[in-house]
Amino acid sequence: MFPQRRGVRPVPKPLTHLKCLECGTLNSRPFKEGDYVFKEVEEKCPKCGANRMKIVGIYVEDKVTKKGKPS
Amino acid sequence: MLNFLQVAGQQDLISVISSLIWILFMMIFILYPTFSQRIQLSYILRDLERRLQKLKVMRDEVRRKTVETLKKYSGDGVNVDEELDKLLLSFMIDPESMDPYGIVYKLEHIVNTWEDTFEEHVKSICAKADETWSKTLTNLVEVARGMDYLYRVVRHYYLLGKKTSNIYIVLQIQMLMPQLMEIAEAYRQACYAFTQGQPIGDGVGVLAAAKLVEGLEKKTYQVAKDTIVHELEMDGRKIFVLRAAGPGGTVGKPADGVLKILESEGDRVKAIIMIDAGLKLEGEESGKVVEGIGAAIGGTGVDKYKIEEASKKKNIPLYAFVIYQSIGEAITPMKKSIAKAAEETAEKVKKLISSKVEEGFSVIVAGIGNTVGIGIS
Repeated sequence: MFPQRRGVRPVPKPLTHLKCLECGTLNSRPFKEGDYVFKEVEEKCPKCGANRMKIVGIYVEDKVTKKGKPS
Repeated sequence: MLNFLQVAGQQDLISVISSLIWILFMMIFILYPTFSQRIQLSYILRDLERRLQKLKVMRDEVRRKTVETLKKYSGDGVNVDEELDKLLLSFMIDPESMDPYGIVYKLEHIVNTWEDTFEEHVKSICAKADETWSKTLTNLVEVARGMDYLYRVVRHYYLLGKKTSNIYIVLQIQMLMPQLMEIAEAYRQACYAFTQGQPIGDGVGVLAAAKLVEGLEKKTYQVAKDTIVHELEMDGRKIFVLRAAGPGGTVGKPADGVLKILESEGDRVKAIIMIDAGLKLEGEESGKVVEGIGAAIGGTGVDKYKIEEASKKKNIPLYAFVIYQSIGEAITPMKKSIAKAAEETAEKVKKLISSKVEEGFSVIVAGIGNTVGIGIS
């Protein structure tokens, strides 16, 4: 019967995960408009310096749940 | 003259006070049944008012974001606010079910007309948007429409309960409010996902289908409206991987695609495997992959009916993979556990194909879901 107070939740910001098409290194950065999974982008690989990478995933990290409670 | 201390026939002050307290209690017992509901009603109305206010803030936020995004792609001289209002209040009338014969095809016709009209209206507002973006913007307007409708329904019951002082009306809506607020929050987050074209949880079925064929040699072609198929050979079996075409937000027409493949392949198809996001129960793990039998597809039921009908006619078994998630997770940006489940599902599908379909035969794998932010592998 009594109201519960809860604030507005922040909107989760996903990360874009990229794979270098030359050396296979995985890298991630904040999502940019225009990104989509399986898109090939011209971005520099932090390891080999090659200029072609593929987006292999766009997702937000899962929230850590409290342990010791029934789940 | 009556002495004050003689009230109720008592002589001392303590007895008088206890008599007064007793009368007060009696009054409460007499008055409480008359006024309790009014007191409760005012409490519930106040709570509902507060939540309705929060819902309004969320509705306004979604509307503002939608207008901003539509304006980015709108042509000159288009009154986006006015056009959005038309879309938010538009409706679809379900076919009459008194005589249920042929209702699926009547529903299909109405839904197709509704979807086409809605999409064309969005395209007419956003002349600068390409095909991919106009589909995602259509999804965005659908989110805004859902949010707006939710707000209007809650407001209706609040005002109706207040007007009629009917506690049972407001009690019912108050009991539903926690779930409705969760849905509203999911709509709010979905709005941000669609304005930027981010993959959502519902797209996991499509993602799993895409992962299944990633890096393999295949022939890709359109099989139905907004629906593509990847045709490839895998361990001596012909595999048709069906999915909606991305990266724009669409679910395609999977049933039409399945029917066309069945028509062209004849009796060579020995299994139909469907992958979709499924609603988990509270306490269950998001991203858990479970296997079952049947047509794993939601929506209006038209696609489900058509796939079941075709598989029964040709006696083709229907296998289903479902990736668990909550209703909120289905329309908000995809979570890591759900994205990872796509790879796990692809592996499980491969195992199922090798165990259930003999070499030389064909199998259809249908990845179901919204393709926003998911391109073609």
